[in-house]
Amino acid sequence: MSKSIIIDPITRISGFLEITANLEKNEVADVETSGLLYRGFEKILEKKPPLDAVFLTERICGICSAAHSIASSMAIENALEIKVDINDMYLRDIIHGFEFIQNHLRQFYLFTVPSYVRLPHVSPLYQNDYTDYRIPEKIEKVISDNYIKGIEMSRLAHEGEAVLGGKAPHNHGVFPGGVTTTIDSYKISKVKSIIKSLSEFISNNMMEDMDIISDYYSDYFKKGKSYNNFLSFGVFNNYNEEDITYIKSSVIIEGKYNEFSKDKISEDIRYSYYEDGKVNLDKENSYTFIKAARYDGLPMEVGPLARLILSGEYIMRSSCMDRNRARVIETEKIINIMDKMINRVKIMENNQGIYNFEGSLIGFGLTDTTRGALYHSIEIENSIIKRYNIITPTVWNLSPKGSDGVYGTVEKSLMGTKINDMKNPVEIGRIVRSYDPCVSCATHVLNRDYRACT
Amino acid sequence: MDNITDKMFNDAKDIIGKNNEKKLKGIWLEAAGCSGNIISFLNGENPGLMYALTSLIDLKYSNTLMANEGERAYEKFLSTLNGDFILIVDGAISTIEDGKYNIIANYKGKRITALEAALRAGEKAKFVMAAGTCASFGGVSAASPNPSGSKSISEVLKRSVINLPGCPCHPDWVIGVLAHIISYGMPHLDELNRPVMFYGSTIHDNCTRRGYFEKKIFAKKLGEKGCMFKLGCRGPVTKADCPRRKWNGYVNWPIGNNSPCIGCAQPNFPDKMEPFVRY
Repeated sequence: MSKSIIIDPITRISGFLEITANLEKNEVADVETSGLLYRGFEKILEKKPPLDAVFLTERICGICSAAHSIASSMAIENALEIKVDINDMYLRDIIHGFEFIQNHLRQFYLFTVPSYVRLPHVSPLYQNDYTDYRIPEKIEKVISDNYIKGIEMSRLAHEGEAVLGGKAPHNHGVFPGGVTTTIDSYKISKVKSIIKSLSEFISNNMMEDMDIISDYYSDYFKKGKSYNNFLSFGVFNNYNEEDITYIKSSVIIEGKYNEFSKDKISEDIRYSYYEDGKVNLDKENSYTFIKAARYDGLPMEVGPLARLILSGEYIMRSSCMDRNRARVIETEKIINIMDKMINRVKIMENNQGIYNFEGSLIGFGLTDTTRGALYHSIEIENSIIKRYNIITPTVWNLSPKGSDGVYGTVEKSLMGTKINDMKNPVEIGRIVRSYDPCVSCATHVLNRDYRACT
Repeated sequence: MDNITDKMFNDAKDIIGKNNEKKLKGIWLEAAGCSGNIISFLNGENPGLMYALTSLIDLKYSNTLMANEGERAYEKFLSTLNGDFILIVDGAISTIEDGKYNIIANYKGKRITALEAALRAGEKAKFVMAAGTCASFGGVSAASPNPSGSKSISEVLKRSVINLPGCPCHPDWVIGVLAHIISYGMPHLDELNRPVMFYGSTIHDNCTRRGYFEKKIFAKKLGEKGCMFKLGCRGPVTKADCPRRKWNGYVNWPIGNNSPCIGCAQPNFPDKMEPFVRY
């Protein structure tokens, strides 16, 4: 007998997501992921002054806004052929690093933990719907304590971002040419001190909490498998030294390494609410505002697990719990990189330039960020933005089916999932959240040249 | 050392037992925006999030924070409508095609738009707070050509709203207004319904670089000392207490980081505040 389950809202993510699953014999036999917010950001960017893109694109997302300021600055630097000084690169990467730490702490404690651990009776953190809580009460209390510390630690990570970037979210520090920040000894020691506090909590508490959850829910290493296709645009990758390098742009297709080329990126709108360059909610079989991003025609997984697999630091295996673990392992890796990087920062005069936009210009900004691969491209004409295209990490993971009918990455992870208790289909939310989806980010408009993004 | 959870649990019980009548029920409704105002709220410090949840607001619904999901989450929204509560709106309200560009829930097979939720809750709420510029004035979500037909919550509800513009909204502004409401009722608002205690003067009035302006020392590019008025700084027209309050543990603010105020707390941000930087 077939039965349909709709979960909307998938809470504890950024933005609005609906999952519709059709079940046969309690197993997911068909599924649709629907991103249900549209703001048309790329349309808003048209005709704006190019430098304003840095401040505007940040406001795509409240939890990963520094990433957009970096990608848009990179696109403008690419268009104007500006070279960024290494000291500025360090500072920008440390700002980005603080955003990673903030995001991963919040994603783990505020978004992931409540699916596995009963929290104190404080509304709206407590619930009694889930029937599948397995961790003994005494241990739950320890993790609950860390939940509260995690709130303070993620706040502290944003404070670190603000020391170098003015404020967070929506920083005023990352800018074409590097950063606007004037660095001094006090700021460096403040950043070092914040990194130390974060590092202790991540290594001592967060890692252990992840281990406990992995132990009690070990069956989730067998749930939520995606394709063996992984993509990264690279991050913390501008240096020759290994101790401050994470990952270069790289791709694995069906388990094998391939050479990365941005020309192989495309977007498909067969199942998205777009037609003839406009929104059409009544388009046949359409079910989401998110476009289907494809690499060489294939759906890809992006994010912490993809990065660790691509950099050879994790076994090539995807699942709900592997994804959760990878995010926590990566948190420790990034705080260690930041710790090494801040020691290399020199006290120098700010070196911002004056930027003018003459003639026709085009630029690309590709970087990995908290949730995976982020793509910005800008076309400038007569000193204003002619066209802007953004492909966010969530557009990869939460993509709908393509024209070929092949499921998007999260959809693939849900297919075949066995639901133990039909009244409490906890498996779906747990698997979806392991991707840390951000639907706020995935709000797009169809560009005229949607097929090739080059 | 006391177990934090035990302590919090007892604190919460005390509050429920002693002065629950003082804690206001609340709905935090995320709509068309970046969800940056709830993230900024999580950055609150002394009082921070746990103090707010245990002492100031009995928060029933928040897409970002709540443990429940699906219909049970939306039922928390519905059950809060019967009784006194504050509606906090984070984001603009998308109105195009009856609000279908922004779905917040699916209840018994019917999709609930943010517009519908805002109207239902806004009609019954004792107080409505707009957290951030999108909810207060439309903000970036309503930027030209406004593809989603985004509007401020006051335009949609046609009732008085406490506007807390800023992109994002400073956590102290939210906490401060909640505390004021609980103890003293409505705070004193200006002509744009902003609390005077936070929006009483312009950035320029209290700017740390005001001295440069008086001496006519102007920065020619970002990163330089000097007043950034000639680089396009919107401090002279923007009302907010950023220069004195600062952000994120009170460590820094945009002008403190050598970049101009972009007027993010003003009506008509971003369209009428552009270009943000000019040389």
